Amino acid sequence: MDLIFYGEDDNSLVKIDPRTKFLIFIGSGIMCFASYSDLGVIIYSVLLCIIFVLCGKKFTALKSALLLGVMLYLRMVLKNSQGAPSVILLLVTALSTVFMFGFPTVMSLLLIIKTTKISQFLAAFQAMHLPVKLIIPIAVFFRFLPTVAEEWNGVRKAMAFRGIIISPVQIICHPWRTIEYMLIPMLFSSISVMEELAAATMARGMDTDIKRSSYEKVKFSVVDYILVAILIGIIVFTTIIGHAAKGGLM
Amino acid sequence: MAKKENLNTTGKSDKKLRVKDLIFAGAFGAIYIVVMLVAVMALGMVPILYILTPLFVGIVCATIYELCVLKVHKFGAALILGILFAVTSSSAYLPGMFLAILAAILAELVLLAGKYKSKMMFLISYLVFNLNMVCPFTNLYFNRSKFIAMATEYYGKEYAESVAALATGWLPFLQIGLALVGALIGVIIASALIKKHFEKAGIV
Repeated sequence: MDLIFYGEDDNSLVKIDPRTKFLIFIGSGIMCFASYSDLGVIIYSVLLCIIFVLCGKKFTALKSALLLGVMLYLRMVLKNSQGAPSVILLLVTALSTVFMFGFPTVMSLLLIIKTTKISQFLAAFQAMHLPVKLIIPIAVFFRFLPTVAEEWNGVRKAMAFRGIIISPVQIICHPWRTIEYMLIPMLFSSISVMEELAAATMARGMDTDIKRSSYEKVKFSVVDYILVAILIGIIVFTTIIGHAAKGGLM
Repeated sequence: MAKKENLNTTGKSDKKLRVKDLIFAGAFGAIYIVVMLVAVMALGMVPILYILTPLFVGIVCATIYELCVLKVHKFGAALILGILFAVTSSSAYLPGMFLAILAAILAELVLLAGKYKSKMMFLISYLVFNLNMVCPFTNLYFNRSKFIAMATEYYGKEYAESVAALATGWLPFLQIGLALVGALIGVIIASALIKKHFEKAGIV
């Protein structure tokens, strides 16, 4: 198992509570949908990059900041150019927009996946006295997203060996075959991962009704309170700006 | 695979949702949502295909849903899947999110009516479940001006105008119909695939 893929925060500067990270994730969702101004998304993305640095993922932060910068530049150039053919313009605009507005969501998802151990996640939400039936599916959901990507890559490579290459042309010409050749192996391998996961949780005694204790210490620290305050501030600010922009448009 | 059988059948008489079932539901939720998002993102570039997404998602995702409910065999699997779906995909507009959860509850009730044994009910429940694909569009039906403003900001004026032109009064009914047709095709594919692959391997 690739440890970097599944989250550790050993060399982080500050420990951020999993609940704060979850709030950041929800906040990014609200951001992208409630406000549709560029400014808010940029502020939020920059904040996310800073949090990544704080969590000890300097390279991820640098890479994503650079990518964001390139996309912003592209957007700026596009907005000012009028001469380009409209179809290409539409396509590139759409791509850059999907990137821009998807950026906070993807980044905050990565933050949860890359810097949180599952045990921390479970401990934090159990401290909130949420029912186990709610916590486990959510924890597994986040744990499983990278696995899906991994299995997908594996299946794609394996199928390429057999001369089955996934491409838009293939999907249009043979939709039935694509589903069968890509989805079924992925489901098969995912199911075996799920079974291993289930066996592991059994071994850890998750199936009992007794309240579990945990090695992980979960506590809201000063950093968490500051982050939450900043977060709420940004969301309120940008949604107001977003609505103001809408008022101007009407 | 046959060896694993004693491990993965939790006993169909066991009514209580165990931790293992929760894990299956969460993990299938992850697969479902990844596949759904990939499909929507690929299609979403073109306005007319964006409107048609309930159809395509129904076709592709039916297998995942069927496998999930067949594997868990208890009350709750479809509901958890539906809640994960609602929170991730239609949280932009709260009424839409509640409608999506409602669709999941209805699907769960259909399964309950079949007592988690009837094969027909498993298949029919997806027809209900796939109605949640319409829910992300509720924003477009009830909150039109905001949606158009958002689409203009996101994709530019031409895209927004073409979506707006398509979004007339009959659109909700069209999309519900599309969702049903997509689910129907998907369910037919799913039952064939499950019979061909998963039953032989002893997975369901």
